[in-house]
Amino acid sequence: MQSLEEDCPLEEEREALHGLVDEDDDIDQFNDDTFGSGAIDGDWREEHDRLAELDEKVGGTSPLQAPPPPPAAPAPSSLPPLYSRGLGERGTLRELDSLLLGGDENLAHNLSKLVLSAEPDYRELEDPAIMRAGLQQHKRAPLQPRPQLNSGSIWDNAMGLGGMSIPKPLLSQVQDSPLMSIIKEVGLPKRPPMGRDEGRDLSERAPPPRSTSPVIGSPPVRAVPIGTPPKYPIGHNLNQQVLCPTPVHVRASVQQRFPSAFNDRLSPNQLVNIANSQLRGHAFPPGVGPVLTQLQRAQMIGAGQVTMGTKREVGFVGQNGAGGDRPHRLGGSQDRRRDPYSNLMTSREKEWVSRIQMMQLQSTDPYLDDYYYQNYFEKLEKRPSPMDSNGDAHKREHTKLITPQVAKLEHAYRPVQFAGSLGKLTVSSVNNPRKMIDTVVMTTRSDDEEKKEKQVWNKRRQILYTVEKTYSLLLDIQDFERKYLQTPEEERRALLEERRSKLGRCSRICLREQSDTDSNRRVAGSSRALLEIFSDDHFLQIMRVRKGKLLVSRLLPFLSVEHAVAVVMATARNLPYIAKKDAQDEVLPWLIEPFSIVIQHLASGPLTDLLQDLSGLPGSPSELNSSTGNQQQTGQLGKVLLSKFGLTLLYLILSQGERLQSADSNTELMENNRWTELVFGVTAELLNIPEASLAQPAFIPPSLLSFFSRYVDRQKLNLLQDKLQLSPKPR
Amino acid sequence: MNYMPGTASLIEDIDKKHLVLLRDGRTLIGFLRSIDQFANLVLHQTMERIHVGKKYGDIPRGIFIVRGENVVLLGEIDLEKESDTPLQEVSIEEILEEQRVEQQAKQEAEKLKLQALKERGLSIPRADTLDEY
Repeated sequence: MQSLEEDCPLEEEREALHGLVDEDDDIDQFNDDTFGSGAIDGDWREEHDRLAELDEKVGGTSPLQAPPPPPAAPAPSSLPPLYSRGLGERGTLRELDSLLLGGDENLAHNLSKLVLSAEPDYRELEDPAIMRAGLQQHKRAPLQPRPQLNSGSIWDNAMGLGGMSIPKPLLSQVQDSPLMSIIKEVGLPKRPPMGRDEGRDLSERAPPPRSTSPVIGSPPVRAVPIGTPPKYPIGHNLNQQVLCPTPVHVRASVQQRFPSAFNDRLSPNQLVNIANSQLRGHAFPPGVGPVLTQLQRAQMIGAGQVTMGTKREVGFVGQNGAGGDRPHRLGGSQDRRRDPYSNLMTSREKEWVSRIQMMQLQSTDPYLDDYYYQNYFEKLEKRPSPMDSNGDAHKREHTKLITPQVAKLEHAYRPVQFAGSLGKLTVSSVNNPRKMIDTVVMTTRSDDEEKKEKQVWNKRRQILYTVEKTYSLLLDIQDFERKYLQTPEEERRALLEERRSKLGRCSRICLREQSDTDSNRRVAGSSRALLEIFSDDHFLQIMRVRKGKLLVSRLLPFLSVEHAVAVVMATARNLPYIAKKDAQDEVLPWLIEPFSIVIQHLASGPLTDLLQDLSGLPGSPSELNSSTGNQQQTGQLGKVLLSKFGLTLLYLILSQGERLQSADSNTELMENNRWTELVFGVTAELLNIPEASLAQPAFIPPSLLSFFSRYVDRQKLNLLQDKLQLSPKPR
Repeated sequence: MNYMPGTASLIEDIDKKHLVLLRDGRTLIGFLRSIDQFANLVLHQTMERIHVGKKYGDIPRGIFIVRGENVVLLGEIDLEKESDTPLQEVSIEEILEEQRVEQQAKQEAEKLKLQALKERGLSIPRADTLDEY
């Protein structure tokens, strides 16, 4: 330690050196170098110059050269304490630099030479940190060079040497820590491209690395958290000439130095160069004018507008251009030219932000995630292109944001299991949070009553579930058209098949009960093919539920004709029941439109059947009607007339009949007695029912008047007219 | 270079003068220098503008870094139209005084209201005691 004391002229340094022996203080010393007096004391520019000089002066590359005495050493007090010692071995410092800057090939070789052979030198070297560490490392395998890093100024540490710069004393603590085992297993987060041992000093710099094993389920750790903006381009660790007046490759570091760049110490020339290099280096946003000439800048600076902290600055210097007295400039682009603070955010950073934003937009199904945007653009494209004068403004709108479509990857995560172990692993991470409590639903009550109640609920739940299933199928079918347009030719057929099958499933689900024994009975001897498998009960269950009714109304346009007719018939048949159940929901009007479309396509035969089902009046015997008693049927029409939906349906049927008749007077309808009888029955009921209880239909088809005129005499026609308000004349 | 057309990305707004409204009601006007993915903003040469009635006053604040979640809205200021306002600029002292008076009046009114409600046996939880979430 003697040499130490000899070489340290300052008292404080000696103390500091002593302090280094104690491990705890070592950390403080390092901190001090970076942030405290050690950092402030030295003027980086002078140091830099010195370094530059050294580079030029000392030529050889042999690491074993005995460090030559410092040439014309400046006053040590102007340098940070440790750095002065560093200068003492500046030969090795420079060696280190050249090693770092040079190719990787020699590196390992040089490093090992440096270290191994330098072992005995450690005692001679003045840095106690080195010495101490050297003593300890004695026992260990060959290492990285560390000496100069500790003594170097913050510049070395900051310049992309990254995680290398751990002082030896700190490192020594690391040897046996449990940390080491983790590090050895997992690897270190950030490693500069140098040949090093695993499990070294980096751990002290970064927080202890989290285990990042895909087996356990932890996400890969990032040394630099995802949210951090880029600092320097990688490999940019050679910027010794940070703010020298060469304007070319200054971008990254100027970035960092910008706030300090505008203090008074910088010469105007340097300022100009910085500004110049900044502007030159970046991609300009549109509208920014050309770079100011040096003269203009000098003027600007000379006018003293750029100094910080003056009152004048308060008034938006950038906005007013270079001078507060100058007239307010028109056009933002000109202002931007004179704005010395522009482009603080480099294009690299802008791209980085926009890249993150794009990442967030990745989606597997843009129509699902971004429906409105897609629709907006479709509409925009369909719109006729605007006039030329507005062309530019609109063209911008037309550039659509094309987001990358990511294939959806399903990762089935299975927790780690070891064979033969008892119980489960209790490892949890971000991707698989641990289940802390095992809860199981226990029903303690199991009386009969409860069971019955539950059965009822279960049934209801079953219905709801069926409705939901059908709904999702329906939604797929509705989206079909859009998808169809998007898929290429080859796949379209497959898509059609898919649609058909889905549709089939829909109709099967809502229209029949597969395990219903009743429907099997009805199979025998029915001429209406579909009704063989049709189960009223199931359909009725669906129609009881609000959502079921809406489902039917949406599904009806997609169903095949037979299915649709079956649905309408079933509804008509059971209208009183359905209407009663709808009292609370009041969604039957939703069914009017799809029903009317179906009815309008009915031929006379089915139409008659439908009227019969609706009115419940006895016509030619049908097996379905026969199952219900006659008394019920007489009331049905009455009930139908009471409900708005029923009445509207009736009108629809009648108007369809009218249409058929007027289209072709020889139509089957007239020849069929059934129809006429039914109509008579309907008219009779209409006349009988008190006007007050007659429901208000959703609308009255205009053809009803002429329809009724075929069947009833004048007197009754007038009565009907009044009652039903069929008159074309407004009252 | 067209950054993210058709979106609400702030990249195109950089280096332009903006008016930013914060959740606590403050209005900041400054040059937008930098953003990030959370819409944290760096505002340069910022003025805090206080509005009372038809008057306003500007307090120079320097550089602001605003956390994105605290921004209600922000918009670019058209430099040409900026001076074209019916509002009258007053000194800082005056506007602060006006603001104080306005706050006082509001508090008085609030107190009276609460009093009246209390007499009727009703109570409305005050906004500041509610968590904003």
